Amino acid sequence: MLQLQFIRSNTFRWASAVAGVFAVFVVVLFGFIYLKIDSYLIARTDRMIGMQLDFIAALPNGRRTDAISDHLGQDSRGVQFAGLYDHAGARLAGNLAGLPEGFRTDGSVQPLRAVRVGQPAGGDPLIRAVGRRLEGGDVLVIGRNVDETHEISSVVGQALALGLLPAFCLSLIAGAWLSLRAQRRVEEVNQRVRRIIAGDLRERLPHSNTNEPFSRLAAIVNGMLDEMEAMINALAGVGNDIAHDLRTPLTRARLTLERGRTHANSLEQLQEVTDKAIGGIDQSLAIITALLRLTEIENSRRSAGFGNVDLHEILREVCDVYEPIAEDKGINLGADIDRKLQVWGDRDLLFEAIANLVDNAIKFTPSGGKVSLELMRGEKETIVCVTDTGPGISEHEREAVLRRFYRSDKIRNTAGVGLGLSLVAAIVKLHGFRLTIHPGPGGRIELVCPDKQDS
Amino acid sequence: MTKVLLIEDDGGTAEEIVAELSELGFEIEWAANGIDGLDKARTTHPDVLVVDRMLPGMDGLAVIEALRKDQVGTPVVVLSALGAVDERVRGLRSGGDDYLTKPFAVVELIARIEALLRRPTDSRETTLRVGPLELDLIERTARRDERDIELLPREFRLLEYMMRRSGQLLTRAMLLEEVWNYKFVPATTNLVDVHMGRLRHKIDGPGEPQMIHNVRGSGFILRAHQ
Repeated sequence: MLQLQFIRSNTFRWASAVAGVFAVFVVVLFGFIYLKIDSYLIARTDRMIGMQLDFIAALPNGRRTDAISDHLGQDSRGVQFAGLYDHAGARLAGNLAGLPEGFRTDGSVQPLRAVRVGQPAGGDPLIRAVGRRLEGGDVLVIGRNVDETHEISSVVGQALALGLLPAFCLSLIAGAWLSLRAQRRVEEVNQRVRRIIAGDLRERLPHSNTNEPFSRLAAIVNGMLDEMEAMINALAGVGNDIAHDLRTPLTRARLTLERGRTHANSLEQLQEVTDKAIGGIDQSLAIITALLRLTEIENSRRSAGFGNVDLHEILREVCDVYEPIAEDKGINLGADIDRKLQVWGDRDLLFEAIANLVDNAIKFTPSGGKVSLELMRGEKETIVCVTDTGPGISEHEREAVLRRFYRSDKIRNTAGVGLGLSLVAAIVKLHGFRLTIHPGPGGRIELVCPDKQDS
Repeated sequence: MTKVLLIEDDGGTAEEIVAELSELGFEIEWAANGIDGLDKARTTHPDVLVVDRMLPGMDGLAVIEALRKDQVGTPVVVLSALGAVDERVRGLRSGGDDYLTKPFAVVELIARIEALLRRPTDSRETTLRVGPLELDLIERTARRDERDIELLPREFRLLEYMMRRSGQLLTRAMLLEEVWNYKFVPATTNLVDVHMGRLRHKIDGPGEPQMIHNVRGSGFILRAHQ
């Protein structure tokens, strides 16, 4: 069926239409040329026979007969006609058998069915002729065959047939070939796309390195597929991470409950077991809550809650909240806020982001260390900087820490959900801010808030 | 006896809540959908409503709106799925009602109900007193018997909140929301405990009877001792 499908294809239809229009145009053109030549030849013939009539009529009476036979004698192709008749209509000279009835002798050119002397009637050519009554009553008629126009029309017709038919066929073939080619490419793309839909994410569309539109389109689609493959793989990775992080506390809770069921002898023991199990389940729920929160922030496109936020106040508040916690861990939490700086954003979310950064810093800084908060002003931006004397974030971990659930190997056993920095990253992204992580030693994370563009 | 009307379509959850609340001495009525719930709310005049956000037939918030239109001011706790907390739900907290995200501990729900039933001490008072504890809201000073207590601003706010609700169980989530203005769960889970530890250290001096009590796994209560 594929072989015949090209007839229905658009390319082929277009090619046929163009070929048809082209053919009509050529036929009209040739017809026009034919008509033009025809009328030109007739006009020329009319002029010539008029001139000859004038010439012979001007001769003296006795020399006309000779002039007519001279005139006819020079005509090797037999296209010239002439006749001289007396006032009674009898032929005096020439090759025109007789003066036809109704022939006007007023010197105007008219078509005439010519009968040649000595030839039977029938098949007489239609000629252009002019006649005039001379002084003395004689009638002179001069004519010329215009059969050449028919020859020309047949030549034109042949040229048309020889040129147009092959051209028309050629364009049909070209159209068929183009549409077959396009069809084959579409079919190939179709098959590959079907494979992609079926789940083979490594499949790509065919394209050459040319600037051809089809290739460029394929290259664009391939770029999109690369991006999607990366995203889907990342998502699958997150799915695994979630499953793993959820399984750990749930397994612990299950084991605890199982052991408790077999071994607990008193209400107190049973309660202890239940508390432990609830703890495990709470941890799993905390992971789910954090994940949902992350999705909520990532999906929220609204900036309805945005306003001018006093960053210095947020920083002070965060310090206020975390001071006792740092102190309990033997960490010095200091803040260097000597300027009042505002940014455009959501107060609660920015509080959450900065609290998370400080929370992280305190968590990963060993006892006796120092965590400091700074509020600075860049050229066209406000910067919140959190530094600590902890292990810092190494170069190759910088991308990874912003990923969901990433927890550095060094700190695997530190309690936490592992979503803190992802949350910060999501909040920062929502605000159009930037997060810069500086290499160690010591941790240094900057939250860069570019000034709002007032338009 | 306090009458509670629970409008919740999930039978399992409802059963747990009903069992727990009746054990604590509440008189509890249960409706499984919004329309029944609205009928029962109109006929039985409960003291407090516990309403699920998503209900078959009639949305939880629509039930509340219908009641408010009838000039029924019964306080409401809305139970909402985590992903479904939007501005309308958040708005409940400022309107005297409250919301709770699923899943929640039953203790948390009871604490919220208690908090709604017992309106805090009149806010026009300038001095709060609980047992030997005295808080001067104008001078910003605190005293236990004759002993002056130095408090940081945040500690003062925490103590004020607790004194207005003395004898009530205050959960960590409630304290985070009301005292620290947290709209999220902090990564450091013992945040409230650390702050409470410091406050307790200042309130309950050595040899003095304990006033701030830790309720295991749930929260804290400030009680006039004896």
